[in-house]
Amino acid sequence: MAYKNVADAHKRLEKAGYIPSREIATVVFLAQATQKPILVEGPAGTGKTELAKAVARSLDRELIRLQCYEGLDEAKALYEWEYAKQLLYSQMVRDRINDIICATATLTEAVEQIAQQEDAFFSDRFILPRPLLQAITSANPVVLLIDEVDKSDPEFEAFLLEMLSDFQVSIPELGTRRAVQIPFVLLTSNNYRDMSDALKRRCVHLYIDYPDREAEIAIVRLKIPNIEQKLCQALVDAIRKIRTLDLKKSPSISETLDWAKSLIALQIHDLTPEVVSETLNVICKYQMDLEKVRNNLDRIVR
Amino acid sequence: MVKLVQQFVSCCRAAGLRISTSETLDSLRQLQLIDPTDETQFRTLLSANFAKSRRDQLHFHRLYHLFFHEMCMNLDDVDQAEAWSDMFKKTALILKEEHDHGPVYDAVVDFLAGSPMGLVAEIRRIREESDDQPAQLRFNLGPLASRLNVLMQITAAAEAVLALIRDNYFKVSPATLEEMAAHFNNRLDIARGILLQDPANINTNKKVKASDRHRKDFGEKPFSSFTREEIEEMRDAVDRLVRKLKNIVSRRWAARKRGNLDIKRTLRASAKYNGVPVDIHFHRKALRKSRVVTLCDLSGSVWAAGRFMLNLLYSLQECFDKVSSFVFVDQLTDVTQTFEEHEISEAIRLVMADENIHYHAPTDYGETLRNFKKNHMELLTRKTTLIIVGDARSNYMNPEDTILGQMRDRCRRVIWLNPEPENLWGTGDSEMMTYATHCHEVRACRNVNQLISFIEELV
Repeated sequence: MAYKNVADAHKRLEKAGYIPSREIATVVFLAQATQKPILVEGPAGTGKTELAKAVARSLDRELIRLQCYEGLDEAKALYEWEYAKQLLYSQMVRDRINDIICATATLTEAVEQIAQQEDAFFSDRFILPRPLLQAITSANPVVLLIDEVDKSDPEFEAFLLEMLSDFQVSIPELGTRRAVQIPFVLLTSNNYRDMSDALKRRCVHLYIDYPDREAEIAIVRLKIPNIEQKLCQALVDAIRKIRTLDLKKSPSISETLDWAKSLIALQIHDLTPEVVSETLNVICKYQMDLEKVRNNLDRIVR
Repeated sequence: MVKLVQQFVSCCRAAGLRISTSETLDSLRQLQLIDPTDETQFRTLLSANFAKSRRDQLHFHRLYHLFFHEMCMNLDDVDQAEAWSDMFKKTALILKEEHDHGPVYDAVVDFLAGSPMGLVAEIRRIREESDDQPAQLRFNLGPLASRLNVLMQITAAAEAVLALIRDNYFKVSPATLEEMAAHFNNRLDIARGILLQDPANINTNKKVKASDRHRKDFGEKPFSSFTREEIEEMRDAVDRLVRKLKNIVSRRWAARKRGNLDIKRTLRASAKYNGVPVDIHFHRKALRKSRVVTLCDLSGSVWAAGRFMLNLLYSLQECFDKVSSFVFVDQLTDVTQTFEEHEISEAIRLVMADENIHYHAPTDYGETLRNFKKNHMELLTRKTTLIIVGDARSNYMNPEDTILGQMRDRCRRVIWLNPEPENLWGTGDSEMMTYATHCHEVRACRNVNQLISFIEELV
């Protein structure tokens, strides 16, 4: 079921457990209405992957995920022939070959006869669909998440272009496969490298930053309903102050949530400097950051 | 609405954003789906289609603000707005006819009349032009002079406009006249503002700090204060590093052996088993060949670290297939061949003794970058990692950071290693902050630990 308008998209994403900003709701709605992929950028842990999941939930579609990495190729992303199965079958049907060619007089005829059977071996039976082909051939519309596309090689990026503009892929032995249902595509990038202009041109762009204070409080309360209002506010304020420090890795929303969960597990109701200092390991992933935050404790919690 | 978006697109293009026709079409199509009177939706739509990276976004928002807030007329009455815009156009025509000051003046007048394209394009041209003066006379006055010219044209246009208003050329009521004057003054202020304020680029996740594992006692000691023994020890450390590098490279080979089925080899192997393909062979995939281009500053200010940097350069060249190494002070010198032909200490000695490198000249980053752009730009491809080693102290000469931006657009990653401590970046003649906006990664690299963690992450 498609979104009707921006407000509808906003409402349904919220219902799916994701609190979108108005920008996010607008872009998601537009991408859906014009069937264009979204290129989502932003710091790690701001909910880029989560957005894809929420979109899938709110549209009631299956989520197919392709994780990119250096060295990812078509065989892993699109399809692969099941060679072992093909060979196994060819061994099993070996005896039948005589039946096919027994009526032929010359070698040429025999080859001709066998060539007619070729299709049996290059058919859907022996193809192993990978995420991209799955997304295209699925009878029901799906949400396709191409995660961390910046980690993939430029060759793979070029290959994605055909798929993203026409929603079709070519398999040499079988011909071109068109999308049965156009999938909703989200690409995420951590800005490890710049994406090519051609790829960017085919997508609408969305930058997700850390949420503002109110939104972050709302997110914490949504994900952890049993947190006290006071603690939640103090927690978010502290996190926001920690983000202003010059850290190697700033705490993201997922760290806020982890922190809130651990505070609840420890049954802590007030955020004191001692508590922050003891539970810092949840937010800071580097020793250096940890020390820096410890040195600035009086600024973070009052 | 179509016209408005088109105007905005040409304004963005004039400012250097790359917007294709298909993107314009997309945005127009999408405009029918949303409520254009809701500003968040409208702005998000344009931003999602026109600014497709974080770096472009800030630029976009500045232009958006200029175009839709500062340049628009604050009039509720549509008829009156039209009358005004007619009047502005007439004013522009008169101003252009009366004085013939050249294209810059015309651009300023157009700006006053409500179309900012010309002026925005002119300012962009100034920012990106590199001064091609002979090497003996290097100043960064070129861009400054062009700016001054625009400022003078703005002043000229201001005088002409105010003269027109004073004479009440259009024969309008005093109240309208006053409003008009206020309006023109406002626009003149905006024009001066965009001329004088350079847009600050933003760049996400650029600063990388070394992790804090301590590997060596002298790991935290700056290169500059090494004793002779420590230098030897340091050599050892670098040697070990290089060996490690090679190991990692070969491990990558091993981990990636699976590719497509190799029919030829499978069939050949099956002959052993009476044609039954028992052994299945796969193609080995070629490892992605990383190319590295290094630029190393060898001037007096980084002299102490220079030797180690050369060490590092040499090791890199040994590890990777395609490395081009350059050193520079006031000019770029290609040392790739020296490194290839000689053993490490000999190579470093040769570089240090090279007469073509003016070790006593002041560093000139701008000239180096210009030089690179002119002669070696083709080295940078989508697979290249560019590593620049230097303190970014440009002796107050034109830093030419736009060239670095162009270089970034061509290559996979730009990494800047700075042998200065971080708190000195951006002080005095250091252009580190200017350059940092164009780098994917900026690191302080003043001791062995930082060097080690850099090399580890590079592979």
